[in-house]
Amino acid sequence: MAKWGMVIDLDTCTGCQACTTACAMENNRLPGENWQDVLFYHEGTYPNVKLMWFPRPCMHCENPSCVSVCPTKATYKDPDGGFVLMDYNKCIGCKYCQVACPYGVRFYVDEKAVVQPDIRGVFPSEAGRQWDPPYKGPQDDPSRGIGIQPHGVVSKCTFCYHKVSKAPKGVADLDEDIPELKEYVPACVRVCAPKARFFGDLDQPQSMVNKLIADKRGVRLKDETGNKPQVYYLSGGATASVPSLRSMNDSGQS
Amino acid sequence: MDILSTGLSRRRFLQASGTAGALGAVGLGGGALTTLREAEAQAATTPGETRITKNICHQCPARCGIDVYTTNGRVHAIYGTADHPISNGKLCPKGPLGTYILYDPDRFKGPMKRTNPNKGRNEDPGFVPISWEEALDTVAERLNTLRDQGESHRFALCYGRGWGASCAGLQGTFGSLYGSPNVAIGHSSMCSDGSIISKKALDGVGGYNAYDYANANMLLMFGVGFLEAFRPYNNNMQVWGYIRGVKVPKTRITAVDIHINTTLAGSDRALMIKPGTDGALALAIAHVILTEGLWERSFVGDFTDGVNRFKTGERVSPSLFEEKWVKGLVDWWNTELKDRTPAWAAEITDLYERDILATAREFGTTRPSIALFERGAHAHSNGVLNGMAIHALNALVGSLYAKGGLMSQMGPSYGPMPVDAKDFMDDYALNGPWKTQPRIDLKGHKDGYLLANNMLQELGPNSLAGNPYKLDTVMFYQTNPIWTAPNGQVWEEALKEVFVIDTSPFPGETAMFADLILPDHTYLERLQDAPTYPFQGWPMTQLRVPAIAPLYDTQYFGDTLIEIGKRIKGPMGDYYKALDNTENVIRHLAKGFATDPGDNGVNDFESWKEKGVWYKKPYIYRFVDGEFYTWDGQDYAILMTEEEVKESLFKTDSGKFELRSGWLESNADWIARKTGRDPRTLMFPHWEEPVHPGGGDLYMVTPKVAMHAEGRGANIPIAIATLQPVLGGRKTAYIEINPQTARARGIANGSRVRLSSDLGSIEGYCKYYEGCRPDTIVFPMEHGHWAMGRWAKDRLPGHCGEITVNQSDRITGQCSYYTTKVSIEAV
Repeated sequence: MAKWGMVIDLDTCTGCQACTTACAMENNRLPGENWQDVLFYHEGTYPNVKLMWFPRPCMHCENPSCVSVCPTKATYKDPDGGFVLMDYNKCIGCKYCQVACPYGVRFYVDEKAVVQPDIRGVFPSEAGRQWDPPYKGPQDDPSRGIGIQPHGVVSKCTFCYHKVSKAPKGVADLDEDIPELKEYVPACVRVCAPKARFFGDLDQPQSMVNKLIADKRGVRLKDETGNKPQVYYLSGGATASVPSLRSMNDSGQS
Repeated sequence: MDILSTGLSRRRFLQASGTAGALGAVGLGGGALTTLREAEAQAATTPGETRITKNICHQCPARCGIDVYTTNGRVHAIYGTADHPISNGKLCPKGPLGTYILYDPDRFKGPMKRTNPNKGRNEDPGFVPISWEEALDTVAERLNTLRDQGESHRFALCYGRGWGASCAGLQGTFGSLYGSPNVAIGHSSMCSDGSIISKKALDGVGGYNAYDYANANMLLMFGVGFLEAFRPYNNNMQVWGYIRGVKVPKTRITAVDIHINTTLAGSDRALMIKPGTDGALALAIAHVILTEGLWERSFVGDFTDGVNRFKTGERVSPSLFEEKWVKGLVDWWNTELKDRTPAWAAEITDLYERDILATAREFGTTRPSIALFERGAHAHSNGVLNGMAIHALNALVGSLYAKGGLMSQMGPSYGPMPVDAKDFMDDYALNGPWKTQPRIDLKGHKDGYLLANNMLQELGPNSLAGNPYKLDTVMFYQTNPIWTAPNGQVWEEALKEVFVIDTSPFPGETAMFADLILPDHTYLERLQDAPTYPFQGWPMTQLRVPAIAPLYDTQYFGDTLIEIGKRIKGPMGDYYKALDNTENVIRHLAKGFATDPGDNGVNDFESWKEKGVWYKKPYIYRFVDGEFYTWDGQDYAILMTEEEVKESLFKTDSGKFELRSGWLESNADWIARKTGRDPRTLMFPHWEEPVHPGGGDLYMVTPKVAMHAEGRGANIPIAIATLQPVLGGRKTAYIEINPQTARARGIANGSRVRLSSDLGSIEGYCKYYEGCRPDTIVFPMEHGHWAMGRWAKDRLPGHCGEITVNQSDRITGQCSYYTTKVSIEAV
């Protein structure tokens, strides 16, 4: 049984947001409701200004606080792979998980559309789902939070379960540059042009993700929460870095 | 109730608690009520079979090969093609959005004609559907009538993003058979001709460069937007990941721009320069390279006795310097460079002297190094001079055609067209009255832009003024000048009195002034060839293969042109009947691969369709240790003669890289008359203060950003939501303003503001950004559409083109998009 993990190299991430849009395409995301977001920060005074960015998927924590608080066991940790998934058939939309998640990567689906007019009204669903765009992905598994959401639920990144779970058993790394593996790689990893993302099995010592975490000092975001993310960040501080409190407190910041 | 351990289903919970409505009502949007039917447990479904077709992304000029995934007749995914040399399986943020473009609900559904004779922003065109027969016959009748009257020059065909031989490539032949100097007029002057032509002045080639970034150890970028928009963006980022994360030694990068964007943020040195002064920085770098003896002697040459006499402020005798592959170095030094010190440049550019000096030393000592630039540096009245000064740096460090340097792009081995157009020229085509007519844009004309390649921005104003004449009919392919031209308001007036044909698949501002709509397929529906833009030098050409049958009653532009051609009287009609259709054209192009198969085995039409790309490595020219060589099949081993270098690499009169431009010198009288430049110095890269029209006190710079999907990004909701991440845009693209600039004008962070120039004003919301120069306003040029679709409509900020003065570089014809000065006030 694999424990899938992601490594994001902030030194080579170019902040292009291809991860965001590829995820949107693969997982039918609504505009502005990014399972995989890139957050931008800046600090300093002209002409010495530091612009930084931080790509943020669901951390698929080993000890996820969202799972602990879910009253219906709608969100759960899949022991085979370590995915944190949603079962829309069980979700009651109470949003406890949204509050409990330290990383802000859960979304209640019935929010007002960020971009108006609401695209859900342009492609309405006749099957009780949020919407029904002609370009929606063919995969649909509500018990794992895959496919277009029904109303009244919370949605989240699946680590592209519909791809990763079909990977050949025992593979240590899902590297998009290996032709026979590319279809099993999460969308955000597969498109990443500077190859700032790596995806592999944290339980296999020989995996590239483990090597990178060791050699390049991989860190987990907000490790003090004890959530133990399965997403690690590499940062030599050159291109982007983990946002500091200094930047968060700056006026005019989001 | 122990809800945690019951495994209570969502449906049962809702039934039991009666909270369905209450929970749903928490949501802010409409349709949030949860019904029991929706709450039925839903099982997983198994998708049908997925088919992958090859295509080329359409959202910027990079031409990334893409795999298009279609299941159950619906396109649902796009990924980079793994064995495509540009995309290598990767994508930029625009790439995945192709599905939204295909299924854009605002698309034109078929050919239409206008029923409302009045044209204007607030006039409903009253488009009604017509058949393709009627549409094509209408065009042909107009064209035949013009030709019969000897006025065929009054038909113009304008294009923007042309792709290949089966679309834009057909236009020139159409013009020479039909008889119009205005078929076709490209948009290159509104793109980046300033780069092409300033390089042409020095190296005689006149094209965008191909770059060997992966082997360079330093990149010096002027206004390039390398991590936002510079083609090929996707591959640039792949290269970035390599040269900044893998390569040893790590490539050093200095980026010059007017605000902190992701490129500057990721570089080793960010230089926030005063707009339009990039040339001064480049001249100072050249000064340091010479005074400190850092130039590449194997390319430039040396003093005959090896003693460096380039000393600040001191003239040098040309006879003491033996030039190798450059011409005019000492003349350049004596007339311009000797006084261009970093201290001087610091005053002009608003940069620190220490940073200029450090940049110059790093660039001069870190080989291979490349100086690259695009519109940020040259879209000013002094653009050609800025461009020449920057490109000259490549000569000083010996980067031309070197490993880790820059080169020219080779073309593909296409087969000949099915028939030769020369056999179908009638007397009118050969000797008709159109032959004596100037182009409507006065490109190549002494009263207009003698040295430019195109002047599309002049077409509207010139036709309106009747100078040199008024157009009768104008057709547009992949260009929307009412929106993209500076001061497009003039185009609105011009197109009111012209019969307008638009071929875009989508509504747009120019389409709203159209009399006929002949909609193209979108790119995922097309069979279309597309040779590469300059990439890595070696030849490559690609193919779009339709993923699905066209969704609507549309027709590929190339076929529209052929069908119009068939309806023109005389031998021209016979030519197009023989050409038949674009698939026939493409099949003939592919015959060239039979004798020159690609590295991936592509040798005919079918294998091209299967792979999506034909390419052939390596690039055949290389500069090594002072000499030029061609590839002999195994190595760069065949020494080139000076004549061969002149024919292929430096296409100047001297066959050298001319720091004293013979091309400009031979046109010195005209240039001096039109620009007021000194005829004794205008042939050298030199400093000239830019002219900033508009009447305001702040520079306005309006870059293309990473999410700017060409021609359509403004109407893609997901692109709107992520357009300008730096300022936390989400649904709003902000006008960047330095806080001190804003506070001095009483403008609050996030407030609504008005930007004004002599032409008018637009509005938008501003956001404080310390990464923006205090004398400069910055915002993406993507928004402000009023006729592009439901999401684009009236989205702020307004369109920069409406307050951008139509001013062009007299030499290159480059539209000076970034040179207008504006004022800003709170609304």
